[in-house]
Amino acid sequence: MIRRLVLIVLGLIWLAPTYLLLANAARGLDDYDPERIWDLPGSFELLANMADAWARVELGPSIGATFLYAVVAPAAAVVIGAMAGFGISVLRVKGGFGWFMLIFGGTIFPTQMLLIPLFFGFSSTQLYDTRLGLLVIYTAISVPFAAFVMRNFFTGVAHSLFEAARMDGANLWRVFWRIYLPLALPALGAVFILEFTFIWNDLLFGLTLSQSPEVRPIMTAVSSLNSAYAGTRMPVILAAGILVSLPTVALFLFTQRIFARGLALGQF
Amino acid sequence: MNAVRVLTAVCAAVVLALAGCGSGGETGTEKKTHLKLYNDKGAWAQYFKSVGELSQKEIGLSMEPVGYTDEPTYEAFIKASFRTNVKPDLFTWTTGQRMAEIVKEGHIADTTDLWNEAIKNGDLTENLKPYYTIDGKQYCVPLNIAYWVMFYNKKVFDANGLRPPTSWAEFMAAADTLKSKGITPFYHTSVLFSFVWFQQLLVGSDPDLYQRLSEGKAKYTDPGVVKVMELWKSMIDKGYFTDPGDKTEPAAGLKSGKVAMGNWGTWFNTSLTQAGMKPGEDYGMFFIPNENPKGGKTSLLFESGPLCSLDKAPDREASMKYLKWWVGPVAQDKWANSRGDVSGNPKVAIPDPGLQAVTKQAGSNDYALYNRYFEATPAPILTAALDAFGAFVVKPADYRKQLETIQKAADDYWSKKK
Amino acid sequence: MTGTRRWAGVSFLSPSLLLVAVVLYAPFLWTVYLSFTDYDGLRSPTFVGFDNYIRFLEDPALATSVRNTLMWAVGITVLPVAFGLLIAVLSYGLKGGTFYRLPFLLPYALSGAGLAVIWGFILQSGGAANDILGTDISLLQEAPWNTLSLIVAMTWQQAGVNALLFLVGLQSIPKEVAEAAKLDGAGSWGMFRKITWPLLAPLTTVVVGLSLVASLKTFDIVWISTQGGPGRSSETLAVTMYRDAFVAAEFGYGAAVAFSLTIVTGLVSFIYMRRQVRAVS
Repeated sequence: MIRRLVLIVLGLIWLAPTYLLLANAARGLDDYDPERIWDLPGSFELLANMADAWARVELGPSIGATFLYAVVAPAAAVVIGAMAGFGISVLRVKGGFGWFMLIFGGTIFPTQMLLIPLFFGFSSTQLYDTRLGLLVIYTAISVPFAAFVMRNFFTGVAHSLFEAARMDGANLWRVFWRIYLPLALPALGAVFILEFTFIWNDLLFGLTLSQSPEVRPIMTAVSSLNSAYAGTRMPVILAAGILVSLPTVALFLFTQRIFARGLALGQF
Repeated sequence: MNAVRVLTAVCAAVVLALAGCGSGGETGTEKKTHLKLYNDKGAWAQYFKSVGELSQKEIGLSMEPVGYTDEPTYEAFIKASFRTNVKPDLFTWTTGQRMAEIVKEGHIADTTDLWNEAIKNGDLTENLKPYYTIDGKQYCVPLNIAYWVMFYNKKVFDANGLRPPTSWAEFMAAADTLKSKGITPFYHTSVLFSFVWFQQLLVGSDPDLYQRLSEGKAKYTDPGVVKVMELWKSMIDKGYFTDPGDKTEPAAGLKSGKVAMGNWGTWFNTSLTQAGMKPGEDYGMFFIPNENPKGGKTSLLFESGPLCSLDKAPDREASMKYLKWWVGPVAQDKWANSRGDVSGNPKVAIPDPGLQAVTKQAGSNDYALYNRYFEATPAPILTAALDAFGAFVVKPADYRKQLETIQKAADDYWSKKK
Repeated sequence: MTGTRRWAGVSFLSPSLLLVAVVLYAPFLWTVYLSFTDYDGLRSPTFVGFDNYIRFLEDPALATSVRNTLMWAVGITVLPVAFGLLIAVLSYGLKGGTFYRLPFLLPYALSGAGLAVIWGFILQSGGAANDILGTDISLLQEAPWNTLSLIVAMTWQQAGVNALLFLVGLQSIPKEVAEAAKLDGAGSWGMFRKITWPLLAPLTTVVVGLSLVASLKTFDIVWISTQGGPGRSSETLAVTMYRDAFVAAEFGYGAAVAFSLTIVTGLVSFIYMRRQVRAVS
């Protein structure tokens, strides 16, 4: 009971800013007043505000590309990262910690400084303004995190599992693909969700490495709403924020099942 | 397990299907009928597009904007593009030092003939020309122009028996009146537009000093500059400004009548009309009177962003043709009026009487134009100054220290130039 | 270990290594090179030796920047991690746990600009935070309040994600172990201290490690909310780097800041990982 109570109280605190977001995104033009942002909205114009945002920035062409990046790049990254984790933790490659730090080292660079050299590289290899180019970037940037989580996850799996599998004569790839990867589904899921969200919300790489509407990710379009020159009304900015967050929220709801049920490792 | 495999297979198929259809970089000299206009005004995408549709009908060249929103990233990207094969057909930039810099490196197409012709047939004016002139030649054309005016809430003014002031004394008296009625006279911010009052007070008291400061011929610690900071501080101390920690958007503040005035470029019209205010009815504009009326002409700050073509543009001819069409009345009519702003082309009729009056006044002999501080100041100094003004707005007592900080950045910059 | 197995191990690592080397390390080498030059992004870089580093060390803004970055590092490795752990442990195995976790997950979906607007409402002078605290502080205007308030905003956004990661860890705790402990009469706190916490150690390493690296590189939320101001008072090292490189167009100088930041981040994470790996094994 205490557990529930604490969760409810904390949850309500956490919902307060969310309420601000929803309430003010739902207000009509005359209802919005910066002095009374906590009041319940006197009108429900959320959909109209979203439609307004949609029309202003023409999100249409970007959506397909953004889904492509946000789904494919993390999917590729979790598999590639899991391979690295498998190599280090299960196969126990010599100098494993060194290799691991090398891969994890990819996360320590401040990304802003990578933009200009990447642009030079992309423009000389015809990758500039291609979906493939952005996929490569997003995959690479997601790999260190995936490798980190998967290395730790596989460390927790008893080594006897590996020996038993080898005894059955399965080759390494099969052991990885048929036994270890499915075992790691919750961890893979968590990594996937986080990377999906990161890529979905990315602005930097999208802006610098692409220019066509059908290649550029969605945030490049959305960010233009919130600028001094745009003069966009606050409810429309907030409604746009909600609109572009919907896929991520849906993903959270959809994947909660993975985390609700225990896929206990103990049985192995 | 199966789910993983299916997911992988689907992904692989999707990658192959979609990755192929992104467009590649275009290179070489080619004949173009579709131009890409790179700009840092992503918010104006719809206006750019409507002009692009018009140009296709008019001159057979369509145009599509490629918008950026973060100005520093945009500038770094454009500079980097000069040395790659990904070159913009057209791009926006800023006047002043940052334009001089790329012109001097020989990247920008000369537009001297275009300017001469446009001035002759009345599409451009002599008073804009200096801002596009480097070493006697013209480069780029005006993308947009905006005058920095004082927007005011008309209803608040009427209710308090106030009219747009014609002298500094009247201006301050109006602020006093408003203050005594519990209305904050002016909007203030510590982020980005923190330079607005500095430029206004300086150019209104000593325009010559303003000019020399931007060229590195005067110091931020000079008495004239110190005096301006003291004036600004005294206005803050009198409670003339909003709390910069208040995050209410300026348009909403002006609409509610809690703030009576705000100093912005004429492009701010868009914000006010979108907030539901009617020009001429709910709000108006006036030019801020000089603090020091000596010299006769009222100093007027203006902002003009250039639209440029590279000397080595993918199709230079098409880009130049576009620039030429851009300054003409048909393009300018669409461009200025769709945004509700003024145009650099005097032939363009502006339906909004308030804006029309502003344009007419600005073009008259009573006003002298000065380039906005943001453009007039070299980037490293500007960066230091924006931070210093932001700090000043929060803690006005430290003004001397802030001026010294800016001067240090200025010393660093100008010593490297010489 | 046999020879073939060593090669197999390396081949499992190679895709990661290749991607990271080409896309992340190679561009960064260019930054390292730039840090020894004077470069305005336009003319060719000119070599200046250690000038940029000397200037950086003498920059009065450095102290503020380091102090703020440290505040971020401590704040983000403690607050969102603690809340995440609390939420995960409380909601794990609870009927309707999914439902209880939802309020914490929603904020993560929100993009940076949305976050800044909402927290701008809350933190502004006369805003909600001041009403609740009964104070009249310009939370976003005065140091150190601006950094502290943004850390709170970040905690709001990140706690749910950490909870998600901890849940992954909780699921790997064998049920038999938990049940055996219960039979021994362990209370909730005893359970947590003796069973859950030690078994969660690998995941805690992950969560704290990631938070640490991310916090040292804090940029977005500061840039959108305050641009490092007013008067550079809320700058982090990453903001200083961006300001010097991109805003002031002194890429060589900015690169020197970037390289210094990377060395610090690298060292801190190396030391942290080393200790954790030893502690775990």
